Amino acid sequence: MKRPNVAVVGVGQTDFRSRRDDKTYPELAQDAVLLALKDAGMLPEQIDAIVFSMAPTEFMGVHDCEKWSVDYTWARGKPFMRVHTGGATGGSAVQAAYAHIASGQYRTVLVVGADRITETPDAQQILNLIWDPFYEQDFALNTVTMTALAAQRYMYKYKTTEEQFARVVVRARRNALNNPSAHLKGKIEVSDVMASPRISWPYKLFDICPRSAGAAAMVLTTQDVAKDYCARPAFLTGASGVSNTVFMGDRMGSSADMDIADQAELVKAANECYRQAGITNPMSQIQVTEIYDPFSSFQFPQLESLGFCDRGHAQDLSDEGAFDMGGAVAVNPSGGTLCTNPIGVTGLVRAAEAARQVMGRSEKMQVKNVHNALATAIGGSTQFFTVTMFSDEPRGGATIL
Amino acid sequence: MDVFVIGLAMQPASDAIRNERLEEFVQRTSRSALDDAGVSREEIDHVTLAACDELDGRSITSMLLAAPAGAYLKDEMRVTDSGLAGLQLGCMRIAAGDLHLGIVASWNQSSIAPVEDIARMRAEPFYLRPVGLNLGIADGLFANAVAHDLALTEHAVGQRVIQRLQSAASNPRAVRRKPQSIREINHSEMVAFPLREGHRAPITDGAVSMVLASGEWVRSHPDVKPLARIAASSSAIDSYRLDRQRLSGLHIFQQCLKDVLARAGLESVNDVDVVELEAQSGWYDLALTQILNAGEDVAVSPSGGTWAQNPFFCTGLVNAAEAVLQVAGRSGAHQIDGARRALAHGVAGYAQQAHGFVLFEGAL
Repeated sequence: MKRPNVAVVGVGQTDFRSRRDDKTYPELAQDAVLLALKDAGMLPEQIDAIVFSMAPTEFMGVHDCEKWSVDYTWARGKPFMRVHTGGATGGSAVQAAYAHIASGQYRTVLVVGADRITETPDAQQILNLIWDPFYEQDFALNTVTMTALAAQRYMYKYKTTEEQFARVVVRARRNALNNPSAHLKGKIEVSDVMASPRISWPYKLFDICPRSAGAAAMVLTTQDVAKDYCARPAFLTGASGVSNTVFMGDRMGSSADMDIADQAELVKAANECYRQAGITNPMSQIQVTEIYDPFSSFQFPQLESLGFCDRGHAQDLSDEGAFDMGGAVAVNPSGGTLCTNPIGVTGLVRAAEAARQVMGRSEKMQVKNVHNALATAIGGSTQFFTVTMFSDEPRGGATIL
Repeated sequence: MDVFVIGLAMQPASDAIRNERLEEFVQRTSRSALDDAGVSREEIDHVTLAACDELDGRSITSMLLAAPAGAYLKDEMRVTDSGLAGLQLGCMRIAAGDLHLGIVASWNQSSIAPVEDIARMRAEPFYLRPVGLNLGIADGLFANAVAHDLALTEHAVGQRVIQRLQSAASNPRAVRRKPQSIREINHSEMVAFPLREGHRAPITDGAVSMVLASGEWVRSHPDVKPLARIAASSSAIDSYRLDRQRLSGLHIFQQCLKDVLARAGLESVNDVDVVELEAQSGWYDLALTQILNAGEDVAVSPSGGTWAQNPFFCTGLVNAAEAVLQVAGRSGAHQIDGARRALAHGVAGYAQQAHGFVLFEGAL
């Protein structure tokens, strides 16, 4: 039996803000499900299984938050599992849903997640607890200081300037003006980024994503079901991931398999994703990327590892506008993670935005003639990576069930 | 499903693992599973983990555990529901076609975790947390509901606990426990009426790793003899509400059982030789076996079930390992002669909100 092709037929996102005190956690999840079902033109009873996307529960304070959401997401009586790979959670959840369908076990699967990072007074204190209690927690490590170290290493290797990182922020906030769901948006200048308060060198406040609350959902199904619901579904044509060691010190130096500055794990994941999707030249075949960039330093190493340019060249291409709307490849037309970061669903939002681009439903964010759109997600100590491809044509050679 | 188990390992049963870090015994368990399968870590293409942050005391426990479990530079994914859910996702990842050889790993070192405090934080904050809901109270509510609706008695529950302890005594992978008398059980501390401490299966530490392979991989490696084929899998979740209908109806348990049998092309549970149930107390055990309604030829929890070992979060994967060993003829003293099909059961959530089954068939 050949596997069925898998397609996205609907996505939904709530507004993302610092706080969503107007809704409880499961109500937020429900809002996203309703939006996704409406987008898909489906009813809850047409969903066969649910994958719940949620990262650390300590942010919002209820360990069984996903099980609390069961009745709100019409999951009662259905298979239901929660996926959690840190910041990569949403990407992994979409890929888990893909496995549900491609395995032939289920036909239509809902991915849903919600997060409310500001329920906790200081998310970075919780993010200190992700590290080893004996060796690392006492070093004041959090995701800001951790990635700042990698950014410094990247700057040293490729002579990157703080202004080049700042231009990434300017582009992200500008793109987000077209995204009604985005948390941060606006027309700012490089000087505004440079003048924002210093947090951890080289980061200033504007180099860092916000803490967001909100929810997202996606409906995936087989190609034969999709054709009845969507004139232009987004086929999931490539799905891959890679996991590295937690220890950052083991990811630099002559004995390291990969350099933490380069996010080179993505080379391995992208190669497998591209093999599945039939991508041989990313720059010419992929029109949109929705990459996971909670910090301004995350775009350059990712774009290089994903094969859009050689090492050390992304910063120059960025300066030249190659990653702007209308550039060689549109990077984060939604504004990306720099503008919106509900951690447990951020990877799902990336995938949803990429799928919408293929489906032609991105409205003011829409890039013309999108055939392939790529989404990434990253988690842990920049150690978990997913790469997912959405295309306007199904994966070649597969038999439709 | 065209998915096979080609190797497995279980951490030796223990109430408390004191001499090793979690990372160490998880690594050793995955290493042993690979050795059991006769494959190297370099050959695997993915890892599926099942682990609970809160029990492990880390906000993203897989950060420290993924590599020891075998996932260094591999395609890795994690579920947080239960060990059995990890196995189910691992099977689907292989059946999807691009991955062919992987590890499923789950663990629990609850001896160093404040389990009831963690359980209390599982509750939503508006209604359940203020009344102090925890595992004991949720399980007590279940016991009360099935005592009334299924006519279960405290005496029968005690007898079931004794029966399981006797089975566990012949399981080489069980924690050694002294026999309990019905008097000791009936006079043990009351946890939440009518649930007594003596009715509950002790929570242990533990870890399980399994090596799964696609049919394509198995057929291209004739030197590797699979232990079992994954015949079918099912799962479903019930309402979050702890109302009496949900608790004593066990509708999701019945639905999942029916589904897994149908997916395997079987007519009834009597077509299965062994069922390993996840029952956290004698009340669950009695209720589930009553609903199961299996004939005398079906061995239910011959391992002793949760009274053999109960590493809480990954107990469903322990059941799966015991089921695989049964159809592979490697169970030991409690081997059921001629076992061809074995069904593993797992649960998740307050008072078994979610149920799942995986059915294994002998691969030869």
